[in-house]
Amino acid sequence: MDESTKRKWDFSSSFYDLLAYGPERRWAPCKRDLFTNMNGKVLFVAIGTGQDIPFFPPGKDIVGIDISPRMLTKAKIRAAEYDGSLDLKVMDIHAMESSDHSFDQVVTSCTFCSVPNPVAGLSALRRVLKLGGMLYMFEHTGSSVFPFNLMLNIMTPIWKPIGPEMNRDTVANVEKAGFEILQVNNVYLDVVKTITARSPA
Amino acid sequence: MERRIYFIAGDFISNGIMGMTTALLATRIVDQTWEMFPAMLAGMGIGMGFSMILMPIFVGLFGAMEVMLPVMLTAMLTGMVFAMADTMLGLTVINIMLGGVLTGILVLLLTYAANLILRSKNL
Repeated sequence: MDESTKRKWDFSSSFYDLLAYGPERRWAPCKRDLFTNMNGKVLFVAIGTGQDIPFFPPGKDIVGIDISPRMLTKAKIRAAEYDGSLDLKVMDIHAMESSDHSFDQVVTSCTFCSVPNPVAGLSALRRVLKLGGMLYMFEHTGSSVFPFNLMLNIMTPIWKPIGPEMNRDTVANVEKAGFEILQVNNVYLDVVKTITARSPA
Repeated sequence: MERRIYFIAGDFISNGIMGMTTALLATRIVDQTWEMFPAMLAGMGIGMGFSMILMPIFVGLFGAMEVMLPVMLTAMLTGMVFAMADTMLGLTVINIMLGGVLTGILVLLLTYAANLILRSKNL
């Protein structure tokens, strides 16, 4: 378990919902749309305080993991409202206990801005994903366009101690981890995007 | 493209307030005794620093990247322009406030345009 990452998100859990009020409502339509793809046994990575749970389609079989026990304590309240199977577990993506090829799909939501080693984390997801299984991501990334790339580079060292990194190239990281990219859809500028990828069969 | 009134209004309010307050702050710190170039750099720094203080409020209410990027750009640009202008022109408070709001709105509209272009470039 990465203790420093765990401590960071345990600390952030106390004000996370306050800061997430606007973003979650703004992104709700897009997330609902992405999550309609959920099918089979689904691993939801970094479920946090469970802000995304109300957007899950009903009747799904989902395992939600997060590195922060304090985040999950809050998520449990929202999970109790979910009309389906939702199992929450404290787990570090870099040390996942799940057996190989045990999930049909993996879904992430603003996760790979924060995973300390994103390529290793994505490779771990590939390990637990069935061959040919789908990866659906809602992520914010760096930008290739001035002045947004400059802004994100300035903000990254300021926000990193208590939150995410703003300038990651998550699409490239997904490819580096061996996934086959099927679709990248820009939600806001080239910064907020949905990524659909497949673990090669 | 965002169509919900709450978020569109939030975008305009965030950028308008950020532009106005940054312009006021920058011109309070920088005055006509400053050289233009150092005033411009100081104004940009003031804008950047000030946006970090005010931004969490707007983010919590109206959105993450959709708020952070235009608001920070507004703050940096407004601080830079108004600090520089104040060294040369000695602006009135009304001019500074109005100019700050208009700069914020202009930045927001340019960001909306950039969003339209970039959203059309999907893989």
